[in-house]
Amino acid sequence: MRALCWHDVNDLRVRSVPDPEIVNPRDVVLRVTMTTPCGSDLHFIDGYLPTMREGDVIGHEFMGEVVETGRKVEDVSAGDRVVVPSFIGCGSCGYCRDDLWSLCDNTNPNAELQEPILGDTTAGIYGYTHAFGGYAGSHAEYVRVPHADENCFHVPDELEAEQALFASDAWATGYMGADFCDIRDGDTVAVWGCGGVGLMAQHSAALMGAERVIGIDRFPERLRAARNEAGSETIDYTAVDSVVDTLKEMTGGRGPDACIDAVGMEAHGTGIEYAYDRAKQSLRLHTDRGTALRQAIRACKKGGTLSILGVYGLLDKFPMGVVMNKGLTVRTAQQYGQRYVPELLEYAAEGDLDPSYLATHERSLEEGPAAYDMFKHKEDGCIRPVLTP
Amino acid sequence: MSSALSTAIPETLRSGAIVQSYSAADGGDSRGKRLATMAAGGLLLAAGLRRRSLSGTVLAGGGGWLVARGVSGSDRPVRTLASAIRDRDGVGAGVPEGMPTVERSITVGAPADELSEYWHDPEQLTRIMGPFAEITGAGEDRLHWELETPRGPNLTWETEITADEPGESLRWESLEGTTIPHEGEVRFRSAAGDRGTVVTLRLQFDPPAGSLGAAAFQRLGIVPETVAKKALRRFKSLVETGEIPSLEHNPSARGSGDLL
Repeated sequence: MRALCWHDVNDLRVRSVPDPEIVNPRDVVLRVTMTTPCGSDLHFIDGYLPTMREGDVIGHEFMGEVVETGRKVEDVSAGDRVVVPSFIGCGSCGYCRDDLWSLCDNTNPNAELQEPILGDTTAGIYGYTHAFGGYAGSHAEYVRVPHADENCFHVPDELEAEQALFASDAWATGYMGADFCDIRDGDTVAVWGCGGVGLMAQHSAALMGAERVIGIDRFPERLRAARNEAGSETIDYTAVDSVVDTLKEMTGGRGPDACIDAVGMEAHGTGIEYAYDRAKQSLRLHTDRGTALRQAIRACKKGGTLSILGVYGLLDKFPMGVVMNKGLTVRTAQQYGQRYVPELLEYAAEGDLDPSYLATHERSLEEGPAAYDMFKHKEDGCIRPVLTP
Repeated sequence: MSSALSTAIPETLRSGAIVQSYSAADGGDSRGKRLATMAAGGLLLAAGLRRRSLSGTVLAGGGGWLVARGVSGSDRPVRTLASAIRDRDGVGAGVPEGMPTVERSITVGAPADELSEYWHDPEQLTRIMGPFAEITGAGEDRLHWELETPRGPNLTWETEITADEPGESLRWESLEGTTIPHEGEVRFRSAAGDRGTVVTLRLQFDPPAGSLGAAAFQRLGIVPETVAKKALRRFKSLVETGEIPSLEHNPSARGSGDLL
């Protein structure tokens, strides 16, 4: 089959690779019908996340049609149209039973690569470094999905592919980030980043009853999507002296009740702190640029919630004293998709939230490298390209 | 990033071939050891620095430490878990020097009385031990272990169950005269609350210094700690889900399968 592979830093290539096969009895093989790049892919493409190998099939946000099932799969059959969360859960371990699916104990075959750094292991994920499992990704014609009964969610017939696809990751992650905020009447939620995850977090916060939602970015089309699609107010951080001061003024001097970081380790910003972070990261003296996260910590209301969805390495300057003295609650995780996907598909079917506006460009698999390039550089108003293998 | 390095390093990590002393008080060629330590350290340091990444930093740090060690001529063995365990009162007491012993625990979400049988059954034990060895029955309470080697004949040895308290513990040891004298014990105790069972695996390998066994171990990059940790993880997955996560037939442009 054809697949989009990581060849080296900033070098993706479409290659011919062997077809996946059923390995374990609860596996299925899907024909991938739609898959999309995630902002977190850019971190290993840019070389900031280790343990990629030449030839790895990438991609972790996808949906497809079941073509083959293992002998112990019960709830999924050939021909079913399903959407699959990016982190793989087993459904049996204590973490899965507690609905903390990305912490699953039983789906990372390379746990020993992760443990020295994390002190423990995460679930496996498709196409996202060997430390995170080494599973072949979804930017391919076919993909193997382990523990299919736990990981395949049937897409209602009435939904278009673009309405269901983002439940795989961007929407589930954004929704979880808003859920972490325990939103109450009158709350203001600020969201750093108006990409797929940030927009879904804003949309979800509004669905959960936030009085005001504020999106922060610098790209006009993304800020426009935040206003027009998610109903947010927006801040263009390149147009204000201080994001923190602007947020304080917008909230009567209190600061947002909850702040969601949907940016992560390659944040952009302005001013001296950003220049310092950027220089240090380019020299590989540290892995992260934490501009967005530090702003969120400073802006957040005392006693408020900091919800971190951005992906980080070992950020070396974290203002713990500010978190501590302001009594912030930090909530963070890789997405617990299996917990949220059923309700997301229900929202989509009811027409409460249609995420298909994220899909700004449709491309073939062969056009994958160019699509990633456009996505990375935010060209042509791109929020998310979708690939149709 | 050099693509040769980017593939070489994960291989090193994967095989668990992390420099490890067997803490044998052999007082052998200390200059040779120092040079070997420095060379290994230098390799890791260079690889780590060239990787310019998170794992690279870890590698470089470890490499730098080994170089410093080689330069300072420290003859103190790299501290192994075996020696750490020996140092602790009560646990592993009486384990002689030269025997790498590891003890590792994992919590499995099942009651203890369902767990013993996995360690009796050669088929299940082979799945648990994964790439380490293939295990077959060799008569009552006896198992035959076979370890494939890249070159030369396979390593084989036999073990016998020496103590068996269902739901509590199981012990085995290799028969006299085997290539890889080996002892194992698995213990079960209830975890707090409804968290299942704490399973503790103790493995002790006894490759006599300079013997075929020791050489084979080092050549194969077998680190008992890695063997124990992987075995426990695989055991837990097998018990909790009925299967073990696998990269068999995993597609990539390198081919099919990323067997570790």
